[in-house]
This record gives sequence, structure tokens and C-alpha cells, in this order.
Amino acid sequence: MRYIIVGGSAAAISAVESIRSLDHESSIDLFSDEETPLFSRVLLPYYVAEELSKPLLNFRTADFFEENKVTPHLGVKVTSLNTAAKAIRTTDGQTYAFDKLLLATGGKAIVPPIPGVDKEGISTLKTMADAERIYNMKGKRAVVIGAGSIGVEACISLTRRGIKATLLEQLGQVMPTVFDAEAAEIVQKRIEDLGIDVLTGEKALKFTGDKRVTGVVTDNRELSCDMVVLSVGVRPQTELAVQAGLKIGELKGIRVDETMMTSAKDVYAAGDVAETHDIARNAYFLNAIWPCAFEQGHFAGLNMAGRKSAYPGSYRRNSIGNFIGIPAISMGVTHAESCAMASEEDEFREIRVRTKDAYKKLVLRNGKIIGAILVGQTQKAGLMSILLKKQVNVADSIPLLMSDRLNFMDLLPILRRNADQFSEPEYKELMDTGL
Amino acid sequence: MKVLMVDKEKCTGCHQCELWCGTEIASTSKELARAINEEPHPVPRVYVEGKPFALQCRHCESAPCLDACPNGTMRRDPETGLIYVNEQTCIACWMCVMVCPFGIINPSSSMKVAIKCDRCRNMGYPICAEVCPTGALSLVERKDYRKKKF
Repeated sequence: MRYIIVGGSAAAISAVESIRSLDHESSIDLFSDEETPLFSRVLLPYYVAEELSKPLLNFRTADFFEENKVTPHLGVKVTSLNTAAKAIRTTDGQTYAFDKLLLATGGKAIVPPIPGVDKEGISTLKTMADAERIYNMKGKRAVVIGAGSIGVEACISLTRRGIKATLLEQLGQVMPTVFDAEAAEIVQKRIEDLGIDVLTGEKALKFTGDKRVTGVVTDNRELSCDMVVLSVGVRPQTELAVQAGLKIGELKGIRVDETMMTSAKDVYAAGDVAETHDIARNAYFLNAIWPCAFEQGHFAGLNMAGRKSAYPGSYRRNSIGNFIGIPAISMGVTHAESCAMASEEDEFREIRVRTKDAYKKLVLRNGKIIGAILVGQTQKAGLMSILLKKQVNVADSIPLLMSDRLNFMDLLPILRRNADQFSEPEYKELMDTGL
Repeated sequence: MKVLMVDKEKCTGCHQCELWCGTEIASTSKELARAINEEPHPVPRVYVEGKPFALQCRHCESAPCLDACPNGTMRRDPETGLIYVNEQTCIACWMCVMVCPFGIINPSSSMKVAIKCDRCRNMGYPICAEVCPTGALSLVERKDYRKKKF
């Protein structure tokens, strides 16, 4: 068997580990256009903030390729994929044949078509080169466009380096895909407390300056600045897949089945590039987040190595951690109305509890959790996560789920009612206790 | 691999396991009288909860925390199968907390690391099982766990 992995981040490395758990001998060739291998993209804001040096960005040790008998081709771009001939061609002019191939090409930061966006001092934050560019930028004022997770973290990173940052978001709140208005308000307050100016509902119209950016014109004002970080989102990097004629989904990701296989036999896709079934939305969706990439890589690897394994589906999960100063976790859909496949029979419910420093919200569809937000008190967030993933009815346990005394053992009746869904040994062990 | 088994008939909810875990494992002084006043406050890795039941990390066969950790801080010991936090590299992003199905990872804001049970992997025997006055906690092979009748 000859395996080829295109990509070198979470999904790719996870796939390698899964293949190697079943197949110790076959060749694995890994192609990545990043020169630096095995670093975690999630940690790039920490690098910009000078909190982590380059070696600490790695999520696997430097001997990973050697240990797993992988031939890495770093800084090598795959230029074409022929699914019929089962071969790829690369920038170094070589052709490589494969039996099983994984496309883990990830996402590409969107560069919004704002006039002047090509000026010096403007960068996205997605690759190691981006992080280094931003790290080396000189100046005292920065504007960060787009208040998603990366935008917020970029602002905090720059602030920690003594740069005055302004966060610009065209929608009415920070982190609009992660939080509802109420949680966003708590988070925004924290961001402002760090000395960051937050402007929501305001759009960047053009960049000023000659060669180098000196300002951002919005619909309300002009912000003078020495640098700009663009963080308006990512889109799947599907050039290879499109060229190879693979099925692309409505959200422009590579459509995969539950074995992570694309429309071409023996060609798999996983991670930010893959459009998978979203459990919370009950529709195909792009969940470009680290845990999903790792899980999908795992399932792709198992299936590629011949063990048929069905991926249970993806769902969004975001944690803002210690970086902002208040723990906040969000998963699934944040509002009942953001469910794509709502049918007339579906019954939606939103439940909220707000105290001075904490906020908790559950979104339910037909008594099953499809979304949760926890701000302040987050230790039991994983319980919501597993109940969402397993899609079990929790309608009779709402007071427990919303209370501060929520704990796993008190959820056992729910697990026992859905014993076929909780078949893993660690759940069975505890169910057997008879509590 | 070996996991901790809890006999619910014997667990009286006395919290001795919590107290000792917090002192012996979590505190720097290792003395109860001093541990109580330590700052940051020591965090026990076992939770006496529910009816009552002493719950710790179950060291899942397919562990979501391992997949969610963005920098390899959460690790599995290849020899024992035990999952542990490599505290030096933890960046307190709480991705593991977000996915732990048992809710037993503590996002310690004062220590800025994720705190969870490693089943005393560097000690001879788990402290919680050692100190339990009724013998409710014991170490068994996972494959034998479910054969035991309660």
C-alpha cells in the first residue's frame, strides 16, 4: 500500500497516527507547502504575543516523521491530482503514485476585496509566514478587521506587545459565529478592559497610504494605523480537488461520506477543507476547527488503512481560554434560527441563566441539545458536548443541566436510557454501578 | 489497562479521597494543615459527586481530550495507557475541558493549567484508593471491570 497525505497540520498528522496504528510497513509520503512542519496554527497568536517561541508551537516532536516512517516533502506543493491514474504531480516536477490519498489541504485566509488591501503592513494570520510578518511589523497602532476568534486573539497579542489595537467588526457583536449577543457583551467588556477599542457594526471601506498602509476608512471615521491584520474568515483550499473534479459542496468544501471518502474512490478528505455532516445543524457544514480536523483525520486514516469506521459527524466547538481573561466555551448552534434544516415539526427551545459573572445557555431541538454557551463557569462544558454529540433527549433534565451542581453521575439515567448510544467501555463501566 | 473501580455500596461520600488527593498530589506542602491555606489553592483530581460516587478521569480508550489539545500537552503514556497533562506546555486554552465527557478536567485559572487525574502514574498506587476508609476504590483491569457484580 502506498499512502499519500497532502497537508501537514492536524488532520494530516492525525491520519498518519491512525494509519500507523493499523499498518506499520506501507510507505507514507506527506506533502506540505509549509516549510515548518508540525506547528499548531491555533497557537500563532501566542507566537505574535511573544508568549511562545517557535519550538513551543509544535504539537508533535521533531522526530515524528522518523518515528512514524513518513517521508516528508516540506515546502513542496502538489500541483495536480489524477484520480483515475491515481497519481499526483508536484512543484518539483515529480510524479508520485498512490493507492490511498488524503486531501488535508486546510483553509486559506480570506483577503477581502477592499481597495488598497495590497499595501504593505497588511496581513492575514494563518500561516507561519503571516505570524512572522506580523511579529516583525513596526508601529504603534494596529487595526484588526474581523472579530472572530483569530481577530480577537490577534488584538490581544498585539496589545501585549504594547501596540494600541482597534478591533473592527461589521456585524453587531464580537465573535458573531461563536457567541450570542449576551455572551458577546461579556466577552467584549473583557476585551475593552485590556485596552482594546472595539467597533462593531462598522465596515472597512478602504485603506489609505502610499506604499504602506497609514489608515483604514470605515463608514463612520478614519482610523490611522501602522499595520492591519485581516481576520475575516477562512475558505477551504480546494484548488486540487476542483481540478481533479471531486464533488464540492454548497459551502465550497470537499464533500465527503461518513468514511471521509470524497466522490473519487480511494481519495479522502479531512479537516478544514472537508464539508461533513454537522450533527447540530443536521446539514452539511464546514467546521474549520482543530478538534474536528483531528477527529476527521483519525477516521480518514482508519478507513484508508482498511478498517471501516463511520465518522459520527462534526459540530462546532470554540473555547477562548485564558487568553481573554474569562473562560468561555461555545458549541453547536448559538441560536435556534441558525439551524439550516428546520422543519415545521421541529420544536426549538432556548434556555438561559445569567448571573453577575456567568452565563449559560442551551439550545434544544426536540428535546436534544444542539447548542450550548458557557461563560465564567465552564468545567462541565464537556457534558453538554457529549450530550450534543450523541443527540439524546434531555428534556426532563433541564433544571439539572442549567444548575451549578451539574455533574456526570447525575446524568447516568439519561445514559442508561440511551445505552446503545453510549457503548464505549468508560460509559458502560459507570452505568453498571447501578447508580 | 488498569482503571479505578468504585463500589457504590461502599462509597459513603466522606470526601477522604478528595482531601488526600488535594494534599498529597495537588499541594506543594503535602501537609493538610498547610495545604488548606496554600495559594493558589490546591485542586483535587477526584470529585465526590452524585449519590455519592468518587469520580476521576476514566482514561478513555478513544479520548476526546487528546484530539482537542492543540499542542500535544495532553498525552497518553504508551506503556500504561494513562492520559496525563504535560503541565509545562499547557497554554490554558481549555479545549480539553470543552470536550471531556465526564467534566473532570479543572480549568485552573490561578495555575493556568488544565488539572486532571493521572491515576498517580508516578506513584506505586493511587492515593485515593489507598486512603479510602471503606475500600470503595480499587484498581482493576479494564477488561475485568464489567465482570464484577455490584
